Amino acid sequence: MVIEVDDTSINTKTQNAGEELIVHAQRMRMGLALIAFIAVLCRESSSAEPIIPGLFSKHPLTKVQVGELLIGELRCAACHTGLRQSVVSERTAPELANVGGRLNPEYLKRFLSSPEAAHPGTTMPDLLASETPSRRDQIAEALTHFLVAQSSSKFQADEIESKESTNGKELFHSVGCVACHAPRDDADKETTNEGVVSLEHLSSKYHRKSLGDFLYQPLRVRSSGRMPDMKLTLDESSAIAGYLLKERNESAKQLETQDKLVSEGKKYFQELNCAACHKLGDNSAAETRSLSIADATRGCLSKTPSKSPQFNLDEAQTNAIREALSSKTQDDTDKTRIALPLTAFNCIACHIREDYGGVSEGRNAHFQTSEKNIGDDGRIPPPLTLVGAKLQPVWMKKVLFDGESVRYYMFTRMPQYGERNLQDLPECLGRTDTLPSVDLKIPNPEGQSKGEREREKVLRTAGRELLGDKGVYCVACHSFNGKPSPINQGIDLMTTYQRLQPGWFNEFVRNPGKYRPRIVMPFSWPGGVASHTTILEGNTDQQIEAIWYYLSLGRSAADPSGIRGQESKLTVTDSTRTYRGRSNVAGFRGIAVGFPEHLNFAFNAETGTLTSLWQGDYIRVDRSGQGSGSFNPASKLVPLHQDVSFAELPDETTPWPLRPVMTKEQPVNQDPLYPKSLGYQFKGYFMDDAAIPTFMYRFGEIEVQDRSVAVALGDKWVLERTIQFVSPRDQTVWFRALVGEVEAESKREFKTTNLRITIPVAETLVRSLAKDSPASELLLKLSIPQNKSTLTFTYELLAK
Amino acid sequence: MNYLQNSRIEMSFACLIFLVGSLGSMVQAEEVGDRWGTEQRERAYYPIVNVPLPKDVVIEVGAFAVLPDSRVAIGTRHGEIYLMSGIDDKKPNPSFDLFATGLDEIFGLAYKDNTFYVTQSCELTRVSDTNQDGKADRFETVSDAWGYANYHEYAFGSKFDRDGNLFVALGLSQSYESNALFRGFTMKVSPEGKSTAYSSGLRSPAGIGTDEHGALFYVESQGPWNCSCSLKALSPGSFQGHPASFNWYKNAPELGPVPEMPKSGSRIVVERERVKELVPYAVVFPYIRMGRSITGFTVNQTKGKFGPFENQLFLGDFTLSVIMRATTEQVNGVWQGACYPFREGLSTGILNVNFTPEGNLLCGGTNRGWPVRGIKPFALERLEWSGKMPFEIERITIEPSGFKIAFTKPVDKVLGSQPETYKIATFTHPYHGGYGGPEIETSTPPVKSVSISEDGMTASLVLDGLTRGHVYDFDLNALRSSDKEELLHRKAYYTVNEIPLR
Repeated sequence: MVIEVDDTSINTKTQNAGEELIVHAQRMRMGLALIAFIAVLCRESSSAEPIIPGLFSKHPLTKVQVGELLIGELRCAACHTGLRQSVVSERTAPELANVGGRLNPEYLKRFLSSPEAAHPGTTMPDLLASETPSRRDQIAEALTHFLVAQSSSKFQADEIESKESTNGKELFHSVGCVACHAPRDDADKETTNEGVVSLEHLSSKYHRKSLGDFLYQPLRVRSSGRMPDMKLTLDESSAIAGYLLKERNESAKQLETQDKLVSEGKKYFQELNCAACHKLGDNSAAETRSLSIADATRGCLSKTPSKSPQFNLDEAQTNAIREALSSKTQDDTDKTRIALPLTAFNCIACHIREDYGGVSEGRNAHFQTSEKNIGDDGRIPPPLTLVGAKLQPVWMKKVLFDGESVRYYMFTRMPQYGERNLQDLPECLGRTDTLPSVDLKIPNPEGQSKGEREREKVLRTAGRELLGDKGVYCVACHSFNGKPSPINQGIDLMTTYQRLQPGWFNEFVRNPGKYRPRIVMPFSWPGGVASHTTILEGNTDQQIEAIWYYLSLGRSAADPSGIRGQESKLTVTDSTRTYRGRSNVAGFRGIAVGFPEHLNFAFNAETGTLTSLWQGDYIRVDRSGQGSGSFNPASKLVPLHQDVSFAELPDETTPWPLRPVMTKEQPVNQDPLYPKSLGYQFKGYFMDDAAIPTFMYRFGEIEVQDRSVAVALGDKWVLERTIQFVSPRDQTVWFRALVGEVEAESKREFKTTNLRITIPVAETLVRSLAKDSPASELLLKLSIPQNKSTLTFTYELLAK
Repeated sequence: MNYLQNSRIEMSFACLIFLVGSLGSMVQAEEVGDRWGTEQRERAYYPIVNVPLPKDVVIEVGAFAVLPDSRVAIGTRHGEIYLMSGIDDKKPNPSFDLFATGLDEIFGLAYKDNTFYVTQSCELTRVSDTNQDGKADRFETVSDAWGYANYHEYAFGSKFDRDGNLFVALGLSQSYESNALFRGFTMKVSPEGKSTAYSSGLRSPAGIGTDEHGALFYVESQGPWNCSCSLKALSPGSFQGHPASFNWYKNAPELGPVPEMPKSGSRIVVERERVKELVPYAVVFPYIRMGRSITGFTVNQTKGKFGPFENQLFLGDFTLSVIMRATTEQVNGVWQGACYPFREGLSTGILNVNFTPEGNLLCGGTNRGWPVRGIKPFALERLEWSGKMPFEIERITIEPSGFKIAFTKPVDKVLGSQPETYKIATFTHPYHGGYGGPEIETSTPPVKSVSISEDGMTASLVLDGLTRGHVYDFDLNALRSSDKEELLHRKAYYTVNEIPLR
């Protein structure tokens, strides 16, 4: 341990295990007191004093401020009046309403009997220090009965499944738990006991569900946020609980509460003034007592066991508290209003602010990222120096209180401490942190003056160019509106305008290294000089203004050159996939069906027609605009046709009824009722267990079910289409089976250049589509009998 | 640790103090314009809770439905239906069970008898799970009685009305023309599945449903014949203002004869006398101040769980990522009402909103396709009432000679009784075929007198006459509650189509 002491500060920090004691006392005024202090430290080598983890981080507090923090964190004001109001939000004691359901009664009893022995480093004082051991047990037991009796549920030990623990171990070490708790070694033993809240006691304290529940929403039980919400999901909480309790769970005996002990416990709860810190039902706290400096050597601050609560303070803590009590003035500058909460909540375990805070060497390796190429800025939480001038006030609250986060690549999470507990901090930071103001003029595209509108166009063009690969190339390392960058996936640039203050943006982009010494972000305007001299004539101010303007456009900003397009290839794995959307190959009411055999077809639901087939990958979807996306076959397709498939033809010379085609010149549908006017109506589809769709439609009076599957034919897959008809009477309808350069191979086999179709026995008609056209159509004259009948077609793709 | 730096930091801090003022004013200046600037105060009353979505899945919410078992169904733009459990947990971490896929952009989701009625781009579809394995396996076409063949032909579906009908609002082709059948119409689909044309003249609807009275409304977007976004009342045979869809009356005899062609450049209050089917905008949302592209709405009937605004409409804006309120009333047989700012600072473009069983407001959407202020490509957020009563204009209703303003808390009677506390400005829009348009014929009518109710909860304002066809813009910045609180939102906008006779 290294203790640095002068008359204004005390700083305790962890050193290696040698427990070496060095004393710097250049301006020592402590005389014998210090010798006594050293003696105490020598005697009590382990950290059994109440642990406030932030005081073991690189904090900026003076000794008086350390004392003030301790007075707050140990809740002296729960019993004593006359103390100054702390600038740190009150640290509340755990909620006890259902403590008997959450905690093992055995543990509860041990903890009440001797808090420090059950949980070394606890801030809960020993209230029974002056009692004999047997009396302590007796009181603790009664209190336990009382607490369990008033709980709404009972503690039940559960089986620990070790399978999730790997994940739990990873999460525990990566999300940020180890900022205040000890990392664990391969044998899952805590690697240090210095300045950490030990968790060795957990397995005797919790069961997995109660620990998981606590980790999921710690503020429900501990509302003052010293144990923050780590934004864990239920699964994650449960996994961490499983890891922390692994193989250490003791079997829990249910406590059958005895009325006599319950009422005794209630009496002790009153007598010991537990309600001073723990709100519970109608139990009221005793009146607070005034505290004068004369008392500062006695009572709680005395080492001699007494009726007073014993906090097991070490000498340094006692001295700090005494100094704070004797200090006449309270330092409540904004600097203090920032430093104290940053220490109390141990923000400084992860963040640097000015000359304090930062990740300690011992924990550094636990800060990880999925974007290693971003460097330390990708894994170490950002400095808080000037953060009040950096973030928009609303954004800061979103980060602090709403769980907002833009560094999705950073494994360590920004904890949530509860808005109530840090409500003054954003304003304090905003007042304290300042940068030279800058006026980045946002042009108005709908501005009144022509000059304004012109300027808008110029800035928009320049901004886009600068961001892209022909310019400063910000999108090389920053994703853009959810779309990945070609190199590193840094913070999405789309967040910039909402998050950052213009003054910070202006300063930071000019000289990133000034604010982030090891940042990988390059100087794009070295020495303030633009390297892209052709854009905005190389004017640095205007270039920065153009980028800021471009980022302010949000989604309306087109992707800068170099950003990767959205990959939207849909694949079929083990079951058939059906996808509706617009398509050139199947109309606006298109449906694509893909089989695991890598055979695919498209169906136009508007006309009831199988419009195309293809072998290979399923579809590509363009989701840049409307709808679920327009789809296109992801492999080369063989088109059939998109007109209606069934029709009644008065004679064989009547042309097939073709769908209306809209053009630029004639955009309005001139035959809007086609093909409903022909008797066709789509009725939907249903899936079988293999997710293969059967299309349902009606043609005139005939109800049709149309189902295609992939079947093997030799070493290839062909599409077998079965069409079922239910007709109220015998009737004849025409079916258009194929369009192209149709060639009859046999009575039942026809082919075009890349498709062979095998038809059922039927009267066929192959006729030219137009005079002198090589293209023809294959029509089938189908005799549909009354009631149910089926016809089968096979479609075989041919290699050219 | 080196403490020597402290004094230096303090010194530079002192030197920089004077800069704080200028920085403050800069931030202020930036907020003027298209922001209300109320986000920081709003959060104390209506916090926004992000709902975590499954990893690596895009969920762009287009529609919601609450199931009888309290699960909430989400229909997405990608065409999926997810069933969420646990959406009302204090810290939400709901499960997302994929119920259906392969649909095309869902902007309407109703639920009846274990079956979804899904309005997707191409049709209204009945979606059910016949083998009860938790996955939809039957997709039956209920209605595809309209054309779908061009860009921007969106379809928005309602919930069931009191008679079991569903309504589908059909956007124009490319949002300007009506090139495919019935684009610009609303269609009524009866419980038997019969589709009939219901009304014409829509431009680019973005939501359809009923208010607390059961009256049918839809959301219209700013553009030709619509200088601002608005809420419009639908009735059988009504014409909603954009004449592009007149060419389909020949296919819809149930609508009757083609309405008179409205005169571009006129006023809605003039044209509605001439074009008898023309229905005026019920609630105008002044452009930018109250959204640039307002979207799907829902009625607050949470019985106070969501706070003070029972029986009001809540709706979002796609571009500005805000949530607003609206109230409706029928005067002389015509619907009109007011809109009010409610909450800004949502994370994405809001496409739809819905109350959960526990009375929280789910807001979902995406930034795909158009400019959006919210920075997330897609998000689902939960607005909840903190239990703290905001000081707000609860609603404004019209009186024969002025307005009645109800508040959520009693007002300061001295300030509240002074007519000059109530700043009112009015405007109307031209009714024309141009895209959007200015606020014209502006006036600032003084409040002649005001009386505060005994309980301080309402103010009755008397004006020197009211003008039909005008939007009344209320600014109550000077008002305070009885406990000296400022209004959370100082503005409200009432659209006067009709003036009650008594």
